[in-house]
This record gives sequence, C-alpha cells and structure tokens, in this order.
Amino acid sequence: MMHGYLYLSIILFCLGIVGVVARRNVFTVFMSIELMLNAANLAFVTFARVHESMDGHVLAMMVMAVAAAEAALALAVVILLHKHKSKLDTNVFSLLKG
Amino acid sequence: MEQSVNYLGLIPLFPLMGAVLIGLLHIFTCKRTALPEKVYGILACIGPVLSFILALKVFVALKELAPEARFLTHKAFIWFSVGELHIDMGFLADPLSCLMLLFVTFIGSLIHIYSIGYMGGDKNYGKFFAYMNLFLGSMLVLVLGDGPVVMFVGWEGVGLCSYLLISFYSEDRSNVLAGNKAFIVNRIGDLGFVLGMSFLFWGIGASGFDYLSLKANVQYLEPTIALAVCLLLFIGAAGKSAQIPLYVWLPDAMAGPTPVSALIHAATMVTAGVYMVARFSFLYAGVELAGSIVAWIGILTALLAAIFGMFQEDIKKVLAYSTVSQLGYMFAGVGVAAYSAGIFHVFTHAFFKALLFLGAGSVIYALHHEQNIWKMGGLKSKMPKTYITMVIGALALSGCPPFSGFFSKDEILYSALATGHFGIWAVGVLVAGMTAYYTFRMIFVVFHGEPRDQHAYEHASDAPHVMTVPLIILAVGALFAGFFNLPGIFGGDQIVSHWLAPSLSEHHPHGSLFLEILAIGASVVAFAIGIKIAYGKFGKGAPEPSFSGFADFAYHKFYVDELYDRIIVQPYKAIGSSIWKVIEPNVTDAPVKGVSRLYMALGAAFKVFQVGYVRIYALYMVLGLSIMSLLLSQSLN
Amino acid sequence: MFADGLFILFAVLAVLGAIGLVLFQHPMNGAMSFVVTLISLAGLYALLSAKLIFALQLIVYAGAIMSLIVFIIMFLNIQPEDLPKEETKLFYILGGGIVVVPIGLFLAKIVKSLPEHSAALMGDNFGGIKEVGLLLFRDWLIPFEIVSLLLLVSLVGAVILASKRGITK
Repeated sequence: MMHGYLYLSIILFCLGIVGVVARRNVFTVFMSIELMLNAANLAFVTFARVHESMDGHVLAMMVMAVAAAEAALALAVVILLHKHKSKLDTNVFSLLKG
Repeated sequence: MEQSVNYLGLIPLFPLMGAVLIGLLHIFTCKRTALPEKVYGILACIGPVLSFILALKVFVALKELAPEARFLTHKAFIWFSVGELHIDMGFLADPLSCLMLLFVTFIGSLIHIYSIGYMGGDKNYGKFFAYMNLFLGSMLVLVLGDGPVVMFVGWEGVGLCSYLLISFYSEDRSNVLAGNKAFIVNRIGDLGFVLGMSFLFWGIGASGFDYLSLKANVQYLEPTIALAVCLLLFIGAAGKSAQIPLYVWLPDAMAGPTPVSALIHAATMVTAGVYMVARFSFLYAGVELAGSIVAWIGILTALLAAIFGMFQEDIKKVLAYSTVSQLGYMFAGVGVAAYSAGIFHVFTHAFFKALLFLGAGSVIYALHHEQNIWKMGGLKSKMPKTYITMVIGALALSGCPPFSGFFSKDEILYSALATGHFGIWAVGVLVAGMTAYYTFRMIFVVFHGEPRDQHAYEHASDAPHVMTVPLIILAVGALFAGFFNLPGIFGGDQIVSHWLAPSLSEHHPHGSLFLEILAIGASVVAFAIGIKIAYGKFGKGAPEPSFSGFADFAYHKFYVDELYDRIIVQPYKAIGSSIWKVIEPNVTDAPVKGVSRLYMALGAAFKVFQVGYVRIYALYMVLGLSIMSLLLSQSLN
Repeated sequence: MFADGLFILFAVLAVLGAIGLVLFQHPMNGAMSFVVTLISLAGLYALLSAKLIFALQLIVYAGAIMSLIVFIIMFLNIQPEDLPKEETKLFYILGGGIVVVPIGLFLAKIVKSLPEHSAALMGDNFGGIKEVGLLLFRDWLIPFEIVSLLLLVSLVGAVILASKRGITK
C-alpha cells in the first residue's frame, strides 16, 4: 500500500515542476512550488508511517512553517511587482538577459 | 669592557624629535596664521644644542676610561632577527664616533643659529628647520650606529634630506632637477654600499654584524671578498662624498639655501663617506690594493675639482669644488692608511668650510641673492666682519701655517710621502697650490678692487648678529683647530691621533725628519706660489675674463655632465622607451589580453542561453536533474 | 478495503486538483483547484495515522496559507486582460512534461525497489498532538527554535517589502 502513496507523491511533485516551468502567471508558479512542498510532505508522512517513528511528522511541520514564511515573503514580492509594473507576468523581469 | 649608557640613544633622538615637532607645527599652521619665526628658530636650535651637550658628556665619559676600553654602547631595541642576521638598533660611541659627534653637533648647532637670520622671511621657514633637524638627526644615527645596517639607516636619511633641502626652492624647476640628480647619483653609490654590506655579511656576518664583532672576525674574511667589499663600500662612499665618478651632484647641490650647503659640506653628508672608510679601517688596512685605489681616486678627484674650481664664476660653486677637492685629500689620506689624518682633515675642514659657506651666505644675503662673483667687488669696507672671517677661512683652506687646514693637509701629504706614495704626494702638492689660487681668486674678486655693481654695493652691509656670531666662532675654530693635532716637529704630541688610535687600525709611518721637512716645505711653497699668482691676476681688481681653449674646456667642467648624459642617461631612456613601446605590448601584455579576449568570446557564446526569464533558468535546472536521473537510473539496475 | 477506497478517491482528487492548478488560466481557479488537492492530502494524512499533521494541513495550509493567497488575488483585483497571454502554454507544458518524465521514472524505480508495507491505521500512541509535541520539544528543539526565527525574519521582511513607498529605478 505504501507504494501507492509514494507514487502519488512523485506524480504531484512532477506536476509541480511542470507548473513552475510552463506557466508565466506568478500566482500559479507560486502555488506550484507549494504543490512540490506538499508532495515532499506526503513522502515524509508516508515514511513516518512505514518506520512507525514520528520524526517525519516533525519534518512535515517544519516544511509547513517554511511554506508559511515563503508565502508571506512571496506575496509581498507579488504585491510589489504588481504595484511596479501592473503585471503578473514573470517574463516582465528579464534583466538577467545576456 | 663595554659600558652601556642609555643617553647615547638620546643624541640622535633630540633633532629627530625636533624635526617631527616642527614639521607638525608647520603642517598645522602654514595654511592659516603662521607662527612667529622665533618659535621655529628656538625649537630648531634646542635639539642640536642638547645633542652637543650630550656629546660633551660622552666625551668626558670616554676620557675617563682606559684608552683600550673606550667603548660606550647602548642597545635601544632589537630591530629584526632573520636567520643568522640579528640587528639591534644599537649605538656605539668610541673615540672616532665621539670626535665626529662633537664637531657635527657643534657646527650643526651654529648653522642652525645662523639659519635663523638667513632664512628670515621665507614662507617655508618651518619646513626648512624641520628638514634641517631631520638632516642632523640622520647624520647622528649614521655616526653613532653600531653596525653597517644602522649606519645605512642614517646614510639613507641624509640622502633623503639632501634631496629635500637641495630642491627646497621648489618653484624653480632647475632646483628640483638638482635635487633629483643628487638623489639618483647617491642611489648609485648606495647600491654599492648595499652590495658591499651583503658581501661582508656573506663572508663573516654570521657571528655578529656590528663593528666590534666584525673587527674581531675580520681575519677570517677571504682576501678576494675583502677586496670586493672594500671597493663596493668605496663606491658607496664615492657617491656620498662626491668622488670620481660620482662627484657631479655636489656642485649642482648649490641650488639649495646656503646654510644647507654649509651643513652638507661641513658637518653632514659628504663627510659620511670618509667616516665610513675610517670606520671600516680594520677592513681596508688588510687590503693594500683597495687602499691604493681609494687614494688615487681621491687625489685625482682633488686635482679635477681644483681645475674646475679655478674657472667658476658662482661663489658657491667655487666653494663646492673646493669641497670636492678637499674630500679628495681626505680619501687620499684614508687610502694611504693614514686614517687619523683623514679624519682630522674632516674635522678641520668642517670648521673652515662651514665658515666659508656661511660667509658666502652673508655676502649673498647682503647682495640680495646675487651669487656671481663678477658682479661683486670691493666689499671689504662694507662687510668687515665677513671679510676678516672669510679670509681666515680661506687661509685655512689654502693650508697657510698656522691655520688649521695647514696641519691636517700637511699630515695627509706627509703620510703619503712616508708610505712611499710619491705620485700622490706630488699631485697633492700641486693641488695645494691650485687651492690657494682659486680660493684667493674668489676672495680678491669679491672683496677687493672696485665695486662692479654700484647699486648692490651701496646697499651691502654686515649681516645681523645672529649670523655674524656663528661666523666669528667658526673663525676661531678655523684658526686654532689645527693645534689639536700638532705634529712632533712643532712640539705637539698629536692629541687627536692618539685619541683616535683605539678606533682605527693604523700604523704610524716613521718617516725621517727630512721627509717631514720636505712635506711641509713643499706645501708652504705651493701655497705661496698659488696666492702670489692669484694676487697678481686679481689683487687689484680685474675684468670678467672670457675663456678660451683649455680654460673654456675646464669652465664647462670638461663636459662631464654632457658625457654622462650621452653615455648613460640617454641610452637608459632609449632602453626604457623601447621596453615600453615594443616589449610591453607584444610580450607581456599580449597573453593577458589574449586571455581576456578568450573569455569574452566564451561569454558571447554562452550569452545565448541567458534569456533572462526565471522560469527558463528553472527549466535548465530541471533539465540537469533530468539528465542526472537518466544516468543514475541506468546504474540502478 | 474501505481505507483503500478512500485512498484511491483522495489520490484521484489530489491529482485532478494539481492538474487543474497547472492548466487553469485564471489564478483564482487555480487556487480553488489547489485547495482540493490540499484537502485530499489532509485526508491521506489521516489515512496514514498522522492526526496532528492532518489537522495542521487543514488549518495552516488549506486554511491560513491558501486564504492568504486567495486574499491577495482578490486584493489585486485581477482582470482577465491583466493576465499574461500564454499562447504557447500547452507547448511549454508538453515540453516540461517530457523533461520531467525521466525524473519521475527514476524516482518510481527507487520506490519500486523498496519493500511493500501495510498502511493500516495505528493506535492512539502514534501521531497525536501529545506524542509529536513531546518529540518536537525533546529531540527537535533547536530546529524548532531556528524555524521560529525564520518566521520572524520573514515577517519583518514581508512588512518592509510591502510597505515600501516608491521603488527606486
């Protein structure tokens, strides 16, 4: 049964990657990152169940805390972006172009 | 055996502290309200005078010791210690350095006092005294250092200060060039000194690198190395003391203020070379060839400088060449192993040369910075004090008995004769005559005859007391300094020679009475002939001569400066510019530029991937991850 | 069997939600779709006997973080014409999918090599707030404190970023 959970985790993770790479909307990109974090969380919790030790749970909590911190900062950046350029497009910022 | 006294370190420290204090005061006040000149003057004189008092204390302390044990040392601190080389910032007072100390501080103090008057009204008054104090302090370090390395510190210090002071009137470009010339020529000599020092260390430096250890170990030095060390050190001495071929800077050094010339010529700087050779007398005594070379170069310098001196028209240049000439005598003296005679000539020369320069300074001061002797004349009645004192100095310089110069010069010539150097003696006598001629040519032209510039003549008068008093003191010194070393034939017992004996490795030659009388007689006759010719030509006043033939050649100093410029300076510049224009862009810069071009090309190539969109960068990352996954899953089977 | 059925239900919902997130043009739709994923994940956590994480997933993720995101989306009042026009979106998704497949296959291979294990529910001593809390404050105290610091820093950072008046060019 554990394999099912882990395969699900992989699928979600890969979908998250696709979302980050393929989409230009900042909100979608951001939520795709959250999706990848959740996939990792699922793997943590699954392994905690397998080994019957709760360290995985603790790690999952840490990931959630990091996700919360990230959310706060990322959304602040999004607001700045919108204020500055009135756009939600990640392609607006191409200053790194060589 | 050795006695340690801590006030030894204070002697150079006083002028150095004075230099720092005056320098800081000058820096912080020159932009705004300048301090009154008296403040600087008094501050500047305190250091040298205190040093002189301490030098007297050293002298008294040394005198109480037994002649063989006359060493006072003071190790201020450990300077550095690398491998076998252990150098202390140490000071050594023995009879030799004590004698130097006494007259350097004494004459230095007098010149400082004189400068208070001479430099009055100069806008860089404070700067001048700061440099002067630094100069004196450096010279005292040089004299008191207990080893070649500490001596070298002072050696470089006086070189620096001479540069600063020669180009003191830095608004005029030619003065700056003169300073540069002095500095560069000295640098050549310094290279010789450093090399000689290195050879010496390589030879016997392992067991202590101060004079006392070196003196104890000198017999272990291989003869060839000893010769190399002697010659290299002499190059250093030639640079500092203006001997052939490095004498060219000294006449140009007249660009500085006159008290500086006096300081350079009498108390500090040029005497350093003679002092150094005497200091290393234990080395030179063992290498006869080196001594002969030194003596011959010395006497040839004396001859050359005397020839130049006969045709100069600048009062200070006449004196400058006379210094070069007298320095030649000193080297001839130390070269024939008559170290005490050489040092004694340094001692007497300090008095009469300081006197002559300060006198010349008074004349220049009175005539508002006119230095051409053909624009002077008849000043005898206007400046009696200056005239009398300068005549005393000139008599001493020319070697007229019983003035001081006579005894010291005669001692050198007699030593040359007694050690069998007849050639040196003969040239020396000739130069003595020439010295008398050009010295009195100057005196007659300046002070006798009719005034050539009526306007300047009418305004001329004796300088203020602060300037004449040092002149009178120095005149007394120039008169009587010779009696300190009265030879046996005049009933004296050579006090200075006996005093110096423990410091020097010298064997007094025992010549016959005949030789002694011959030496004295020849000198006196040469002096008399020289002064006679001078009186005959210039005694009644003479027009400015125009030179032709040999005289013209000598007037242009045998074109030595031009020769040096042609064979050394210009090729050097050509090499420099060819390296700059050919080798630098093609050899050294090319690889550097090539590397930068390579990276620019690489950058241009990789620029394509930098699209600027964050998600594309993420895609690159994922792509890498994906390739890694492909590779790893191969190995998982 | 009931648990297996629930797993399949939640798994399908989670994947569908994720696909929706990636495909929806408007971020509001994406966010709603993502909430579905998060809630399904919470259900899966419950199936894995992780009671505390189940609760936190609902409260913190589906509750706090998502409501923050939705709030910002609504706050910015996004019109359809404000959104980037992504004509080549499908092309990119396809390309991304191709790039991602090796990663997924690699991970799946690893999972396959692991031994199978039952996911039956565990008793009262596993995953409750007390047990996890004890572990957290005993063995994980320092990481916990560090995370609290991280949160503080991000709080300050967010305030400074959002309160900037003008942006210097």
